[in-house]
Amino acid sequence: MESPGIILAFWIFSAITVAGCLMVLVSRNLLHALVFLVLAFLGMAGLFLTLSADFIAVAQILIYAGSIAVLMVFAIMLTPLAARDNGNSLYVLPALAAGLGIAGIIGFVAVNSPWAQLTGDALKQGDPDTTVSVIGDLLVGRYVLPFEVASILLFFGLLGAIVLVHERRGARESS
Amino acid sequence: MTTANEPYVLNIGPQHPSTHGVFRLRVVMDGEVIRDVDMIVGYLHRSMEKLAEERTYTQNIPFTDRADYLAAMSNNLGLCLAVERLAGVEVPERASYLRVIFAELQRIASHAMANGTMVSDAGAWQTPLLYMFREREKILDLFEMTCGARLTTNYMRIGGVSFDPPPEFWPALRELVDEMPARIDEYYSLVQDNEIFLARTQNVGVISAADAINGSLVGPALRGSGVPWDLRKAEPYCVYDRMDFEVPVGRRGDVFDRFMVRMEEVRQSTRILQQAIAQIPDGPHKTEIPLALRPAPGEVYGRVEGPRGELGFYLVSDGTPAPYRFHVRAPSLINLSLLKEMAVGASLPDAVVALGSLDIVVGDIDR
Amino acid sequence: MTADVRRPATPMEQQIREHRSLVQRALALGGGWKFILGVVGLGTLIALAAGGFLVVGGYLDGRWYDIRDLGIPTSHLVYWMQAQGLSPAVPYLTTALLGGLGILSLVGGWLVIGSWVERRVIAKFQIRQGPNRVGLFGLLQPVADAVKLMQKEILIPLGADRLLFFLPPILIFLPAMLGWAPVPWAPRMSYVDMNVGVVYVIAISSLGVLAVFLAGWSSNNHYALLGAMRTVAMMVSYEIPISLSLLSVVLLTGSLQLSQIVAWQQQYHVWLIVVLPLAAFTFLFASTAEINRTPNDIGEAESEIVAGFHTEYSGMKAGLFLAVELGNAILVGAMMSTFFLGGYTLFGLELWIPGYLILATKIGAVYFVFVWLRATLPRFRLDQLMGFAWKFLIPLAIIQLLVIAVESMVIAQSGLPGIVTVGGSIAVNLVLTFVGVRAWASGIGYVSEAAASTPLLTNTVGGLRAAERIRVVS
Repeated sequence: MESPGIILAFWIFSAITVAGCLMVLVSRNLLHALVFLVLAFLGMAGLFLTLSADFIAVAQILIYAGSIAVLMVFAIMLTPLAARDNGNSLYVLPALAAGLGIAGIIGFVAVNSPWAQLTGDALKQGDPDTTVSVIGDLLVGRYVLPFEVASILLFFGLLGAIVLVHERRGARESS
Repeated sequence: MTTANEPYVLNIGPQHPSTHGVFRLRVVMDGEVIRDVDMIVGYLHRSMEKLAEERTYTQNIPFTDRADYLAAMSNNLGLCLAVERLAGVEVPERASYLRVIFAELQRIASHAMANGTMVSDAGAWQTPLLYMFREREKILDLFEMTCGARLTTNYMRIGGVSFDPPPEFWPALRELVDEMPARIDEYYSLVQDNEIFLARTQNVGVISAADAINGSLVGPALRGSGVPWDLRKAEPYCVYDRMDFEVPVGRRGDVFDRFMVRMEEVRQSTRILQQAIAQIPDGPHKTEIPLALRPAPGEVYGRVEGPRGELGFYLVSDGTPAPYRFHVRAPSLINLSLLKEMAVGASLPDAVVALGSLDIVVGDIDR
Repeated sequence: MTADVRRPATPMEQQIREHRSLVQRALALGGGWKFILGVVGLGTLIALAAGGFLVVGGYLDGRWYDIRDLGIPTSHLVYWMQAQGLSPAVPYLTTALLGGLGILSLVGGWLVIGSWVERRVIAKFQIRQGPNRVGLFGLLQPVADAVKLMQKEILIPLGADRLLFFLPPILIFLPAMLGWAPVPWAPRMSYVDMNVGVVYVIAISSLGVLAVFLAGWSSNNHYALLGAMRTVAMMVSYEIPISLSLLSVVLLTGSLQLSQIVAWQQQYHVWLIVVLPLAAFTFLFASTAEINRTPNDIGEAESEIVAGFHTEYSGMKAGLFLAVELGNAILVGAMMSTFFLGGYTLFGLELWIPGYLILATKIGAVYFVFVWLRATLPRFRLDQLMGFAWKFLIPLAIIQLLVIAVESMVIAQSGLPGIVTVGGSIAVNLVLTFVGVRAWASGIGYVSEAAASTPLLTNTVGGLRAAERIRVVS
């Protein structure tokens, strides 16, 4: 089976991720919740590493922990003070029910789908040189259409952001 | 759809690395833009003008040292000229030449400090300041040689100067004057090609000539806005009418123009020093006046062109040794009122650089 | 006038006159010291000759005592451990521990020495001496600073958020340490020579942004928040030019692995700073923005908002922020050396001098450039900085990327010898740098500010009308 190191790493990273997510649910201050969410992101990056997906792991850190977390901090900062309390919410029970439902669906799909099973040593034999080259080949080869569509979507997102914050003459610099 | 900002108040407090002394600015900011500036002064008020009413005129000379403590010689000169006009005291020629020499040396030292600190406010970590301090150190050494103090010199007396400079003063002065032009060229070259400095100072803090005159701006700030007003030319005192020098005048009225006007004034001061060293006669260095000088009752307003501008002394005498009223027209305080005009609508770094270019000394503001 | 008399020297003047530089002190040593130095010099020559003999004769290659590449003794240690029949975890943990200790001692040592180096070098730029009282040549000054910081009272501002106040000093130290992982010090000496080294470096540096923001936010202080906002805006904007310039490097060398990038530079006998001057300059400038050093230290502009995002931190927490600025500077130095200055190679000299010493020298050189920039340049205003990043650096980096894409294809797939293809790329890139930058700058409407106005000299005196008269005349 897997080497004991990978098993140990899997359990540690899973614990970190789940603990982070639970603290997100439980903490009262919204910014604390954000910090624990970043912890969860980092745990997920570790989980990717146990699957030998090195590029996706660092991309996870770069995009999620590095950029999206900052975005969320700005969003929290720009909202009025009253909305920063993570505590009271009318939606606790419906949210719990919906969350459990979604977790159930995802778990069912994850367990019962025939994923391509190449892990550990088998992966090392089948792997050309790096995961990056495989991803690159796939992006401009087999999945070129989704790639281009995604880039157009991002472009429109950028345009929309500029249009939203563009003020009249004398605009101050955007943050 | 725009987001709304609410303005917030930033307190650039009395203790701050760049307010040039204990001076408080309450700035109302809207994002990065300043909407309003409120200047709260008085942290250095030592009630100089009230205390002066109980002391003789000679005893008041050390007070003036501490008003504008970076231009002590000019302050002393102002008071002495005012009292001499009030009391009708004649000053020997050698004393007038010595006064001019020391006033110009003080101008060089003060401008070195002013320009250096302004560039430090723009962010250059004191390197240009320390280069300009080489000359200031030598000048302060000259002061110490002559009157024993570097900063609060208490040198001028009513009727002349207090001490004749010692023999080792003149070679040192000549050495300094000889190497000044090369140093000034060095400072020019440091600035003229430095794009970051130019981008930080050009078109920043612009004051038009009309605004400057309306706001009673004086000194290098006024000349930077294009108005050619210098008291050494307009109402020559001491022996300035015998000196051949020019008055630098800026073109746009921005921070860079004020900076360059000060650099150019240092060059002109060097010219004046050279002429003064060549022309100075021998003779007594002061006339004897009574210990408790009683000027005739009356009033006088005597002014000099200090490094910061027109420094005026309004004295009212009632025949007693102590003045009845002693008022200092402080250039820094009146120049400071134009900070609001420069700062509103600008960003905070620009306001800081503009404040540095006005060259205020809080001792002068608060007295 | 009176005779030329000199005044007797004051004590300070005496001290200045008697001050001798290191070289003068060395030359003035007595006879006994000179003999000892001569013996030591002779011994050094003999040792060097012996070393040269060993290298040339191949007695060092691959042996366990080959210190030119510390990875070789380590691999011998690993083989020995495996031969003893220990479980694979033991050699793994041992090498991890050894490497980790190495990086820790490097970074920790630098944080101590670097503050002394920085202060003395800046002092030299400012024609003064710098710390020279505490210990010989002031070498114990960092120790004194550390002790001072450690014994300070930890003040937590009244409305500050406890968790968010304690976290940033730790969080900002992580990138400064973790960034050293992929750096190759010798052919077999990098802590983790990962396949995605370049992306890892960029990812780790983006963690610092969050730390800065949390520091400013949790301090419950307007100054700190203002500084944090400026710093975060700047860091986020300048991550893009860094990524684009590194992308040019990756395209040219064909690999994300740092050791492969160094190997490419070794193979083609050229440093990437020559081939990609625009990318190198973009990386250097954008890195000064990432690590908040002058001319881009608007976030902690001391003369304006006291200390920016770390205003409220006292004691060792503030010490960590200041130390991380230093640590980040040499990390960027290591990155710059690895990507653009050839890493541990020096056109064949790495056979004689250990590669890590060569890399250390290059890191020192890049750090000296950073200190030089700090001592001489004023700082940019924030809107000037952002305009520069978005309107200038990013478009130029994209253009360079397109050009490099074509060039790397030519280099990799045409059959021409390397000198033709790489030489051609160098020529094209130099033209792009000098001509393209100017063309782009004038294209976006940048007016060179070098037209500095000099003041008029006049003898007239007057008010507003005189001012207008002068202005008309000039």
